[in-house]
Amino acid sequence: MSKIKQAGLLLGIIGFILPLVVDFPGLSLAGHLTMSIFLMAGIFWMFESIPIYSTSMLVILFQVLLLSQEGFIDYSGMAYSPLPFSDFIATLASPIIILFLGGFVLADASVKYDFDKNMTRVLLRPFGKQTVFIILGLMLVTAVLSAFMSNTATTAMMITVILPIIAKMEPGDPARIGVTLSIPFAANIGGIATPIGTPPNAVVIAALNQQGLDIAFSSWIFYAAPLAIVMLFVAWRVLLWLYPPATRDVALSLDSKLKKSPSAYILYATFAVTVVLWVTENLHGIKSSMVALLPIAVLTITSVLDKNDIRKLPWEVLWLMAGGIALGISMETTGLAEWMVSAISWDKFGYLMLLAVFGAVALVMSNFLSNTVTAALLIPLAISIATSGIIEGPEGMILIGLVVALGCSFAMVLPISTPPNAIAVSTGMLETKHMIPAGLIVGITGLIIILLLSVIYWPLIL
Amino acid sequence: MSKNIYILVVEDEPEVLDAIVRDITGFEEFFPIEMADTAEEAREIIQDILDQGDVIGLILCDHVLPGDNGVELLVELQHKEETISTRKVLITGQAGLQETVRAVNEADLKHYIAKPWNKEELVEIVKELLTDYVLDKVDDVLPYMKVLDGSRIAEAIRKGRTVTDN
Repeated sequence: MSKIKQAGLLLGIIGFILPLVVDFPGLSLAGHLTMSIFLMAGIFWMFESIPIYSTSMLVILFQVLLLSQEGFIDYSGMAYSPLPFSDFIATLASPIIILFLGGFVLADASVKYDFDKNMTRVLLRPFGKQTVFIILGLMLVTAVLSAFMSNTATTAMMITVILPIIAKMEPGDPARIGVTLSIPFAANIGGIATPIGTPPNAVVIAALNQQGLDIAFSSWIFYAAPLAIVMLFVAWRVLLWLYPPATRDVALSLDSKLKKSPSAYILYATFAVTVVLWVTENLHGIKSSMVALLPIAVLTITSVLDKNDIRKLPWEVLWLMAGGIALGISMETTGLAEWMVSAISWDKFGYLMLLAVFGAVALVMSNFLSNTVTAALLIPLAISIATSGIIEGPEGMILIGLVVALGCSFAMVLPISTPPNAIAVSTGMLETKHMIPAGLIVGITGLIIILLLSVIYWPLIL
Repeated sequence: MSKNIYILVVEDEPEVLDAIVRDITGFEEFFPIEMADTAEEAREIIQDILDQGDVIGLILCDHVLPGDNGVELLVELQHKEETISTRKVLITGQAGLQETVRAVNEADLKHYIAKPWNKEELVEIVKELLTDYVLDKVDDVLPYMKVLDGSRIAEAIRKGRTVTDN
């Protein structure tokens, strides 16, 4: 284990022990125990001393042992009423997790039957041959796909699409960098547009659900898609400005044949029906998590996905999310989040200043940490601020939730910021020093536009 | 712990050996290159590499060598568990049909390069076979994307789903 990870391991253990030996005034016993878990998990997530999904499992383990009715601590006579242990483990199959599972199933089936490649080929056709517009086309297609598939899988696929394009460019052409960067940027931006686009969205939605706020699939799209569209254009212009193409036209040839087997057709139909049902949730009222069971059932009944495909689903991402959601539950029910938030007098901040602070912290942290972990650590605090009345009501809560979720997805400065960024640098077509200025401009602009939307758009539709 | 993946070049004429190594020098950053001028020396080097806990991804082997010949060495490697996955290539002007058939049938020969070789062709074959090896045996293939066949590796990540959102 590297020195850093060893240090993290030690710090995490210290972090766990600290609240057990130090008394924090105003914090209940349950709050102290939750703080132990919070500090340990936060440190282990940051340093990745153990895999991030196993930190999540460790969270649930300690919650069951220390914070549940069936655990080792007796809370009779105290303010905290312990939850049944099944509540903690139920996070592994909470509605938002099932929603994501439905998304994973559709995405994996799409990859298996090359549906993603075929959609790309069709969607790119209208964009012609000019380099400038091909880049826009690539970004739009990447964003649309990554709104429904994992940002990482979309990036991997689009890299195979752009490598032949780049191979035909002159070695010194800045467009090589621009085209390669456009993919992870578009994938990260596209991921914010739907609840299933990226795991941080799930953590935030789950936290809002816990407060009794249900966010419909279509509602989220109304909130987030405009931001995605605007930022795609901004990122496009920024990349063209930083890395202007040397040649006017590019040669784009995509070979992929639409699969016509019965299984493929079942996939296309299931995909279409599921997405339509999701996107029209406000019209028919069937919850998106319920709709998610449709592709799961249909694709496995018909063996479009078989047992091996099921095994290859990214279950560790679901575990990662579940742990984050579970931690949030404890931080809320034991009063830890409220206690942490009350340490700072937030009422001195203006409303917009508060959103800006949370957005900026989310943006900076998620550049260095996993986006999901950043969301998991910040959202309980954000919600606590909302419940303490500084931000008004349910609208305020959704607003700050959106700021945190979307802020987490705009971290694109370094290869370690998100897996799509890492993939782009691995192609060898660009170096980190090319990514940094573009990532900074796009990230900061994204934050500004999020704040703008908080003032002029979201209050109107929430 | 990630293992180093070696390329082993076995050739008895020093100028030819140098020429081969020069041609494939582009891979050296990710795949350390070892040289041997006899089959015996090759065996020693292979054992050293295996003792270190590393692996041999590719062997470029001449056939006519002092002592045991190239095909003999390759067949031997095919029968050892630690080197069965090593991609085996003959670079030679002097292997007869019978020996070549033996190399194909008993040593799973992946490619036969006739001397004199073409540099681009050699580099292409090395790239392709190392990509085969890495996709077969390595979990995290992302770092190899820029030096090997980027398209195949990206496709493997897309289908293999070993890199995920987090």
